[in-house]
Amino acid sequence: MALAADRDVALHASTLGASGGTFASVGAAVTILLGIWLMRFGLSLRPDRRQTTGEAIYELVQGQIAESSIPSKALHVWFPYVASLFLFIWVLNIIGFIPLPLSDEKFDVFGVSLPTWGIYAATANLSVTLALALITFFSTHVEGIRYNGAGRYFKSWIPEGAPGPLLALIVPLEVISQFMRLISLSVRLFANMLAGHMLILVMLGLIFIFSAWWLIPFSVLIGFGIYVFEVLIVVTIQAFVFALLSGIYIGSAIEPEH
Amino acid sequence: MDILLAETTDAGLADLGKAIAFGVGVGLGAVGAGIGIGTIFGSMIQAVARQPELRGELTGIQWLGFALTEAVVFYALLGGLLAFVLV
Repeated sequence: MALAADRDVALHASTLGASGGTFASVGAAVTILLGIWLMRFGLSLRPDRRQTTGEAIYELVQGQIAESSIPSKALHVWFPYVASLFLFIWVLNIIGFIPLPLSDEKFDVFGVSLPTWGIYAATANLSVTLALALITFFSTHVEGIRYNGAGRYFKSWIPEGAPGPLLALIVPLEVISQFMRLISLSVRLFANMLAGHMLILVMLGLIFIFSAWWLIPFSVLIGFGIYVFEVLIVVTIQAFVFALLSGIYIGSAIEPEH
Repeated sequence: MDILLAETTDAGLADLGKAIAFGVGVGLGAVGAGIGIGTIFGSMIQAVARQPELRGELTGIQWLGFALTEAVVFYALLGGLLAFVLV
């Protein structure tokens, strides 16, 4: 019984599928465009809170992500990409923690049927994160070949001075590790967001699995604690790490360390 | 005990096995990630205690390391979920 309920919780978190991801992605893009458009007006040398926030985000992306990972000769091309990636994933993650009436299910309160409110992040969908990781993956190799030439770029994967017989072992490993980057980059974000949502769901689901009403205060309190932790820390860190790793991969392809 | 004996059908045993696999897998993953995260923050405290002026530069590296380590437990969770939901 309890096992079946667990499985329902796990499946329910991933049933919203592709359409939910599309809507959330378009919503995030519109939100960012609107935010940037609103940021443009009334800029001054004595910044107000709105301008300070915008400058803080810009400086975070420029100082912590772009300049520490991408060589300066390619900064003008790849700083915008890394910055968009950070903002896009951050907004998608945040949208995922706003309760929205996502499903068609209704519940009755004193005869009035209200839509059920749920939380769903587009980044808790493997298709979305894999698409983002694929952009980074292809940009990495295209830029590596464009800046170094195909021969020099692929040679840079292999450590110099490796003896012949060892190469048979190293070459497949290096090729696999390039694809492992793709998997780890997408699965890290996906699993983090999915696990965050599932922890909250499971905490609340415990009430119904055990049908114990005295669990309500504990479950709600722990669930709320996880919610706050996710919103304050995980959301930003995952967006930061995805953008930073994208920058590091692209930067290391442009200037391989021989 | 009676409940346990009553549940030992094939389907019950399969569910039991999945539950144990899920629990042990995620638990071991959490052990590794816990040790790793502890090491990262411990080293960060030592580093800042020795050279407080480096805090700004170290914070970025610290969060990168934290996220990379924390992801390990989610790989375990995902593997456990795959075993639990799909098999």
